[in-house]
Amino acid sequence: MGSETQNAPEAHVAVDEIPLAQPFSILITVCDNTDVGEMRVDALMPAHQHDLNYTPKVTALGDGLFRVDNMLFHMPGLWELQVDVGFGDRSVSYTSNVMLK
Amino acid sequence: MKVLVTTALFVLTDAARAEVLLSEDHIQQTLPFGPWPPSFQSDPSNRVSNDTRAIALGAALFNDPVLSVDGAFSCASCHDPEQAFTTFEARALGRVLLDRNSPSLRNLAGLRWYGWGGKSDSLWAASLHPIIEEQEMAHSKESLKTAISESSYIDEFEAMFGDIQTQDPELVLVNTAKTLSAYLETLATDRTQFDDFRDALERRDLAMAANYPEPAQRGLQLFLGRGKCVLCHNGPGFSNNEFHDAGVPYFLSETGVDEGRFGGLNFLLSSAYTLDSEWSDDPDKQGAWVVRSVRRSHSDFGTFRTPSLRGVAETAPYMHDGSLIDLEAVIRHYSEIDTERLHVDGEAILSELNLTEQEVADLAAFLVSLSKAP
Repeated sequence: MGSETQNAPEAHVAVDEIPLAQPFSILITVCDNTDVGEMRVDALMPAHQHDLNYTPKVTALGDGLFRVDNMLFHMPGLWELQVDVGFGDRSVSYTSNVMLK
Repeated sequence: MKVLVTTALFVLTDAARAEVLLSEDHIQQTLPFGPWPPSFQSDPSNRVSNDTRAIALGAALFNDPVLSVDGAFSCASCHDPEQAFTTFEARALGRVLLDRNSPSLRNLAGLRWYGWGGKSDSLWAASLHPIIEEQEMAHSKESLKTAISESSYIDEFEAMFGDIQTQDPELVLVNTAKTLSAYLETLATDRTQFDDFRDALERRDLAMAANYPEPAQRGLQLFLGRGKCVLCHNGPGFSNNEFHDAGVPYFLSETGVDEGRFGGLNFLLSSAYTLDSEWSDDPDKQGAWVVRSVRRSHSDFGTFRTPSLRGVAETAPYMHDGSLIDLEAVIRHYSEIDTERLHVDGEAILSELNLTEQEVADLAAFLVSLSKAP
């Protein structure tokens, strides 16, 4: 995942095939030696000016691994996945584009 | 004989000309509209789902005025089995003229939301509310228990749910709704000419696929492309089961408005009958995540659930208020849409399509092909 923050710890998202208008889950891994705090996940369709209709449920699995459930992309097209991660007293934002047909 | 030979040559020539007009990209976009019918999954929140006794009792109750407090009408009065489980009226007539069009009741099994405003997250809850709505069947829980107790259905009811006299009236209400739901789950539209086309494309049998009329193919191209219809009408049911502003006025009068999804969510979140409630029979509460995590937004105001397009040619009039009399009117609505009526901060999807007369006819041909041939 990309971030505009300089020297941001690496973050990776793993997802199987995304079903249209059906719930799915993703795994996000944050690579950092320090403690990774809270994570918030959202997504939006830039072309349509709307975000998700449901709030994703984020579960910390330990060692920088997070499971995100209740994701639902209700339209085909370009979605921008947005992830905010807390590292101590700072927060880093990541984005990743997903094209859903 | 000469006439027969001439006719045969003409048909052969016509068949040779037929072809699949879709690009490979459009073919790939067409495949997710099937297969049809989908495999049936029992509703874990309804312990009598897929139970043959419940289906039979639900069917009988659906057609019997016993479910209205004064025997004035039945579910079938507004959802006529002879009229694709809706009626030809623009707005449903309960005890008063209601605000919305009666939706058809086919292909409802396993949806995420029910009703134009999505005030129910299960089919049994959606079946329950009209029984106790004052403007519809108008039963109280107590009057319903009495009506079922005194009806000819009491033996079937007690065979499934036990002695009715030991049941709280609210339990009788929920059990009654669950039999209706068991019946409604069985109502599905048939396969169509479109399904034959879609399946032939999946098999790469282009000769068979070419039997699908060219006007319908051109309509499908518009549906997938410039029309952007597929953004909301997707999946085997041709609906994403979410809520959108279609540019249809939601003013009911000079002072009244239909709140659409905004009101539906308010209703849902204060309802005792959700998948997260004690009335769900699923110990795992599998579908409850939607009511737990659904977001509220002021842009929900005046949005309505995307209707399925399967069998759509049989369910005129259209839109949440039944204000568009036929499919051509719906297509022209989107073609000439007044974007000033859309939410300023809503989705940026719809714009004037300015369709030609040929394109209107092609889109109509495609939509008609989603219904069983007469």
